[in-house]
Amino acid sequence: MNFTEHTKIRKEKFGTVVFDTLTEKIFITDEIGSEILELVKRRMDVPEIVSTLADSYDGDPEAMKKDIAEFAEQLKSNKIIADSAQE
Amino acid sequence: MDIVAKGKDVNRLTNPGPDDKLRAMFEGTKFEDYDAPLFFAWQINAACNLGCLHCCEDAGHSMPDEMTKAQALDLCRQIVDMDIPYVAISGGEPLLCPHIFDVCKIIRDNNISLKIETNGEFIDEEIADKFAELKMRSVQVSIDGASPEAHESLRLQGDWKKAIAACKLLLERGVTTEIVFVPTKFNIHEVGDLVDLAYSLGVYGVYTGKTMRIGRAATNWDIICPSDEEYEKFFNVVQEKATQYEGKMKVYYYPYDVIEELKYRLESPSASLLVLPNGKVKLIGPLPFLCGDLKKKTLREVWEDYKVAWRRPEVIEFTNRVVADPNLLAESNNWRQVSSS
Repeated sequence: MNFTEHTKIRKEKFGTVVFDTLTEKIFITDEIGSEILELVKRRMDVPEIVSTLADSYDGDPEAMKKDIAEFAEQLKSNKIIADSAQE
Repeated sequence: MDIVAKGKDVNRLTNPGPDDKLRAMFEGTKFEDYDAPLFFAWQINAACNLGCLHCCEDAGHSMPDEMTKAQALDLCRQIVDMDIPYVAISGGEPLLCPHIFDVCKIIRDNNISLKIETNGEFIDEEIADKFAELKMRSVQVSIDGASPEAHESLRLQGDWKKAIAACKLLLERGVTTEIVFVPTKFNIHEVGDLVDLAYSLGVYGVYTGKTMRIGRAATNWDIICPSDEEYEKFFNVVQEKATQYEGKMKVYYYPYDVIEELKYRLESPSASLLVLPNGKVKLIGPLPFLCGDLKKKTLREVWEDYKVAWRRPEVIEFTNRVVADPNLLAESNNWRQVSSS
């Protein structure tokens, strides 16, 4: 996965700003969302992100996988990220 | 898990509007909290080949104290350093600025989204090739009618065919192209046909909204301002067209006027800067206030000054006076510096 062409990401003290400069819409994510975005920046896919975050957070890996997959789907449906082949 | 942190939902940055729902969505995220602007609107020059009756800047001749090429390029580097994600360059006519492509190159080499707002008249094959190479966020062309008559009666010395040809040249090269339409008594009746024309050309989007009573438009207000009835019909047509082209082409209209915008901005200034050709920074287009000079201060310093300036009593008092008496909008280009203490 990677960010789409017009998406810009910037960390601020209150969260991470996700700015789709084509539609001129912004989103602000919380701390965990920020971490996921950092991993997307490194071109990780969902299983890699789950594996990486599982090392940092306690909790049910299946629940985490489901949450991250949902988050990734929302990012995709808002055209914030795309699978690498679709960029 | 939600994409959006609690209470921080989707917003439209450059025109969030005085909508209650949007206000609620953005609650808790104040412009003072941002380390840098999210959006940088740069009027790079004042020179223009046209004499549009509705110009919001009264553009035409160059200012005697415009930023030099060296100053402009230094500003670009500061934009990069501050990690500003999105820059829009206008004028005047920005393609009359001799160093426009030097500026564009620095911005795009650093992967900052870039939009150019132009009348399109200088876009030939060579210029269109340059824009394609730069992979612009978009080039926005002003087209004020579906016919040469409407467009050219408003845009004095303008050539509708050149503006249309510019769109075609850009689109042939895959450049994201947008059209902006400003409604006045001269052309308001053509908005529906213009949207249809835009779709037939294959543009990404059409943008419109009420004409702002500032700059040369304020001087010509009595002859250009549509009536309430004309605006009502206009917004009905635009709404129909937005529905018709949903999913095929963006038809965006901003339904509020400049007074409503000011009321909202006084409460919630945007995380953006508006830079004039001489490097001075305005709080917002419809107000006369300057909050800094990029020839004398760094961009980072001016950003901090901008945050303070919006809370100064003179700004609050004058904005409230403008809201009560819109005739004061005519003062928007009589610039004055906000006091620093």
